Amino acid sequence: MALAQKRYAMVIDMHRCIGCHACTVACKAEMAVPLEVNATWVKIIEKGPYPSTRRFYLPRLCNNCDNPICVRNCPTQASYKRDDGIVVVDPHRCIGCKYCIASCPYDVRYINPFKNIVEKCYFCQHRVDAGLEPACVEGCPTRAMIFGDRNDSKSEISQLLASNATTVLKEEMETGPNVYYIAADETAMSNVENGINYRTEGAFFKLRL
Amino acid sequence: MDNTDVNVVYSVQHQLPLVMYIAQYFFFTGLSAGSFVISVVATLLGRREFKPIGKITAILAPILLMIAPLNLIADLEQPLRFWHLFIFYNWTSPITYGSFLLTAYPIMGIIYAIMVFTNRQTPAKILGILGVPLAISVHGYTGFILALAKARALWNTAAMPTIFLVSAMVSGIGLVVVIAAARWKWFDKDATPEQRQSDKKLITQLATFMAYTIMLDLFLIVSDILVLLTAHSDAYQAGMLILTGNFAPIFLGVEIFLGSIVPMVLVLGPTRKSMKAIVIASILVNIGVYAMRFVMVIGGQTIPLS
Ligand code: SF4
Ligand code: SF4
Repeated sequence: MALAQKRYAMVIDMHRCIGCHACTVACKAEMAVPLEVNATWVKIIEKGPYPSTRRFYLPRLCNNCDNPICVRNCPTQASYKRDDGIVVVDPHRCIGCKYCIASCPYDVRYINPFKNIVEKCYFCQHRVDAGLEPACVEGCPTRAMIFGDRNDSKSEISQLLASNATTVLKEEMETGPNVYYIAADETAMSNVENGINYRTEGAFFKLRL
Repeated sequence: MDNTDVNVVYSVQHQLPLVMYIAQYFFFTGLSAGSFVISVVATLLGRREFKPIGKITAILAPILLMIAPLNLIADLEQPLRFWHLFIFYNWTSPITYGSFLLTAYPIMGIIYAIMVFTNRQTPAKILGILGVPLAISVHGYTGFILALAKARALWNTAAMPTIFLVSAMVSGIGLVVVIAAARWKWFDKDATPEQRQSDKKLITQLATFMAYTIMLDLFLIVSDILVLLTAHSDAYQAGMLILTGNFAPIFLGVEIFLGSIVPMVLVLGPTRKSMKAIVIASILVNIGVYAMRFVMVIGGQTIPLS
């Protein structure tokens, strides 16, 4: 093959992130993400006994995994992986069984309450296909998010990946995440109980007609 | 992770993907599979006094299994698209096996019930033998739905399908005992005293069998929890959730105490001859299994993933 297969990936450099939520806002605007659900968000924690405390940020989004458990478990092939690695949901095929939400180890999928289908971050496939960068990357004031083709050795992202120690979320899940973090805090990357992790009201018997 | 000096300043709340409909669906398929297996055992043994039980259960199995998928469709965000499951199947998804099993099994169950009711012994036996693996897979696959959703530590264990099957047997027998006892009490008046005596004995035997199945169920649950508590941190958290956390009252109080220990004592203890005690035990068992489905499905999803 003359051209290597494209593999879109993202690097988030936590040295640069200032926790400003601009990525969340850009995503909400670009993807029309309704209230109460999020395709991208920034988790913020504080660690250590006073006065030796520090805040740590962690922007979160779908990892567009190489071995996506959501795609494996989707019964209708509504969730599928594009040739360039982006994992998308076909809005006309999704039946809303929510098994993908239950299977994803990163809690990044949600039901759009207006469209009643599953949505998530697609690395802004419509923008990427048009040659633009994802909205969050463009909105980030400190250029903490870098997006690109990690199979292209000249791209900024593959140079960053080659010259930095990076981590991914929950490597043990064997999902092969494509969102890499530079200098992310380990506690921020792990599951933290905050008492309100899940919305339970209306979760028992809701009727959709 | 259990990190006490961590303060979460900002994080978002997530939806619970699978709601009570799913737990209820698991409960109904379990009842159906359990009663089908009992029906086949009664047909295969072919003894005259087993006939009524064989008939009751033959009719229960397909009816319950027609109620069960209604829960599934009610849970879909796009109920009118349920047919996508058959057109756009994906063989790596347990839900795909389920949609085909859920179609094949009730059809077979109805044919089997017709054979049982028209007293055609040989076809009933053959269909019964063919149907047991189908009944087991129709319920066993629901265990795989949970077990293969690898994100959730409470579900992702190899014991899950077996636990589901055994608790299905427990609840299935419980339901059959309740219905057989109701028949014995109200609709069996014109039978001879000997016949009534043998029917009663049969119900008692079924209840005893139920108590032994509960023991097997308890063994599986204890081994599952022991391994959860000694495995990785998410699994430990899952084990603690049902032992000391939010779901402990329902798990320990309803599922284990009311739904397993009390019925076992009622059926095997000094009250074992009393029909009332047996019926109460069977009802409690069903409440316990329903609680188990609730703890598994809802509880399993409340362990934080982010
Ligand atoms: S992060 Fe979750 S939703 Fe995104 S591709 Fe991976 S498994 Fe699927
Ligand atoms: S909710 Fe939609 S995308 Fe998710 S598994 Fe079901 S059909 Fe697939």
